Amino acid sequence: MNITDTLRIVIVGHVDHGKSTLIGRLFYDTGSLPEERYREIEATCRAQGRAFEFAYLMDALEEEREHNITIDTAQTFFKTSLRPYIIIDAPGHKEFLKNMITGAAAADAAILLVDGAEGVREQTRRHAYMLSLLGLRQVVVAVNKLDLVGFRRDRFEGVEEEIRGFLLSVGLVPAHVVPISAREGDNIATPSERTAWYSGPTLLDALDSFFPARDISGLPLRFPVQDIYVGDGKRVYAGRVESGCLRAGSRAVFSPSGKKAVVRSVEKWKQPALPEAHAGECVGVTFTEELFVERGEVLSEAGEASPAAREISASLFWLGNEPLRLSARYVLKLATAEVEAVLSAITERIDSSTLEVTERHANRVENLEVANVTFTLQHSIAADTFKENPRMGRFVVEVGEFVAGGGIVREVRSDRLGRGTRVVRLHSRMMTEPDGNFVDLSQEAGPVEFEVSREFVARLGEGEKVAIRLCTADQLEKIARLAFGYGLGMTYRRGPDGNRVVLFRESPVVQAATEDGFPVI
Amino acid sequence: MESLDALENQSIYIFREAYRKFKDLAMLWSIGKDSTTMLWLARKAFFGRVPFPLVHIDTSYKHPVMIAYRDRMAKEWGVELVVGRNSQAIREGMDPTKGRFVCCNALKTQGLQQILDEHRYKGIFLGIRRDEEGSRAKERVFSPRDKNFEWNYKDQPPEMWDQFNTSFGPETHVRIHPLLSWTELDIWKYIHREKIPVCPLYFASEGKRFRSLGCVPCNFPLDSSAGTVEEIIRELQVTKTPERAGRAQDHEAAYMMQKLRSLGYM
Repeated sequence: MNITDTLRIVIVGHVDHGKSTLIGRLFYDTGSLPEERYREIEATCRAQGRAFEFAYLMDALEEEREHNITIDTAQTFFKTSLRPYIIIDAPGHKEFLKNMITGAAAADAAILLVDGAEGVREQTRRHAYMLSLLGLRQVVVAVNKLDLVGFRRDRFEGVEEEIRGFLLSVGLVPAHVVPISAREGDNIATPSERTAWYSGPTLLDALDSFFPARDISGLPLRFPVQDIYVGDGKRVYAGRVESGCLRAGSRAVFSPSGKKAVVRSVEKWKQPALPEAHAGECVGVTFTEELFVERGEVLSEAGEASPAAREISASLFWLGNEPLRLSARYVLKLATAEVEAVLSAITERIDSSTLEVTERHANRVENLEVANVTFTLQHSIAADTFKENPRMGRFVVEVGEFVAGGGIVREVRSDRLGRGTRVVRLHSRMMTEPDGNFVDLSQEAGPVEFEVSREFVARLGEGEKVAIRLCTADQLEKIARLAFGYGLGMTYRRGPDGNRVVLFRESPVVQAATEDGFPVI
Repeated sequence: MESLDALENQSIYIFREAYRKFKDLAMLWSIGKDSTTMLWLARKAFFGRVPFPLVHIDTSYKHPVMIAYRDRMAKEWGVELVVGRNSQAIREGMDPTKGRFVCCNALKTQGLQQILDEHRYKGIFLGIRRDEEGSRAKERVFSPRDKNFEWNYKDQPPEMWDQFNTSFGPETHVRIHPLLSWTELDIWKYIHREKIPVCPLYFASEGKRFRSLGCVPCNFPLDSSAGTVEEIIRELQVTKTPERAGRAQDHEAAYMMQKLRSLGYM
């Protein structure tokens, strides 16, 4: 690891516990505030008839400055003698939790700020919990405003004990708990004489002890396929190495399909073929044999593949305006995989501020709540538990157009078919020909499952049909289940040259479907 | 991983994600250092071939050197170039004397809107950076805009772990920002490392150079003796002058950039 790499830190905590002042102080003490920015803020404050306001460094929107609140997350930069930092400011108001999470999800480490006079408050606990669910493990607690309580050791220790206890209950152990005054600069860059009873590091020293990202190169290889580019007579699988090391010549296996392959080359544009690529690198991969795998599959070294998850138990935070409902369908996104998922259990519904379990076996999870849940997936995807591999053990839930929740995988269960089952996405195989839509599955021997996209179903809704040529009669049952699940009509015919199914949208206004107009296959 | 490599990989990941998710894509190329770096990154992401057109919104007030540079690079890199102009406003004599807000909005924002409507682009790449200016610091990587082009900065969708919001209704387009995490200094260090040819206006001549390129009437060069990329990097490491000091539209009124941007300005 290179110590000069930028560290991204998020500053979280309850409203008015001093985030903006701390950011200003970090700038001031490290000499990072550009003179021009200082003058610009000074002028704005003067025009508004107020004293210099460090909050304006981050609160750039008119609404933020007018009302003295942080609405959305923003980033800025400062430097210590060790390395550059990116500061991510996160709003402290409950209403802007989704913006706090957006900021915190991008961080390598966090400062959790607590007002030493006021103690732990609602958003202190909620933010700490969110850090834990986002997978952030490098946390320093700063107990602020100690100037207001005369730098009394007992006041600090009371707050320290309370916050340590809470963090432990969400699985976090702070690297340090530092007594500070952001306003007066105690224990930020230099040790304060007013806290002679404190022997730990200053806040900046504590930050300098953190790492830019959790070292994931020692974990097994995970290379989710992001896209496939075909050209110059070859298929290049594009993706980013999420963990481990991808080596040319190695024997690899895709999950969940179980397809095996030997890596022929690892490529970047304008560079000679690479012997290997490491976590964080975006590359293109080719294989010694032609194979067909789709986006979402994950390449691993033979023998250490991700399990093919059919059911996922997880801890999740919910940001949706509408509640998360039991038995409802959602789109779950994990690495590059996207899958329809039914929320099959809400084991515990939890108040994200108190950690109190408000309900067991619940029917719904409301906005800002946390829950332990189980999703049953429409088809298998590669997934690891968060503990085993953080990059492959975190996911988001999409509702309509937007991400509305996210969380970390606690447990993965495969279905009885195991990892040999291949998922065939009918929409990506559909060919539109002059006389209709056509999918050829005649080469798909072995266990398969079918999946369609929302666009596919929508096209059928507009009156289109699709003819599917099957490989074996076993596939018929799977197609029938799919048709049932989406309310589609289906006809089946066995002919001299194989089995053929036609899917269409059943609707009372449309005449009974016939197979006329489809090519004879 | 070294910082520039981390930034490069992050941008490539964003490009590939957008390309997979949107059929009708275009990239705004303002001919400046940022969007030219973005174009270079796109070539990396797609192994040399840029699979979408580049759109230049030409206000008719651009420096002639920029246009010459644009046409030369487009040819050399084999990219498809689409030039958009709000011709009607130009014909009717729109210029900054009508007010900078009005002029920027007509020639840039509406020029962009026209070209998006005409080509039905659903996703456009823009080379904005968080360190440029306060309202840009608030942006998402994938930022939805409604049919009136408006940016709802008060209620942006969450975005985490490179899981971007990519499924939008037909009335929405999305601005994709692959350079959001870069700084001005990162850009120049990368231009140096990759030897990316940039517009000659950035290099000092007669004691002045442009640090940010715009339209001739509203874009002023700053005092500088930096004649090479190395010298520019050295200058940026010590300068106290903000990047957009030479851009008049930023300074005309409080929150002008926020207001322009909420209406769809880049």
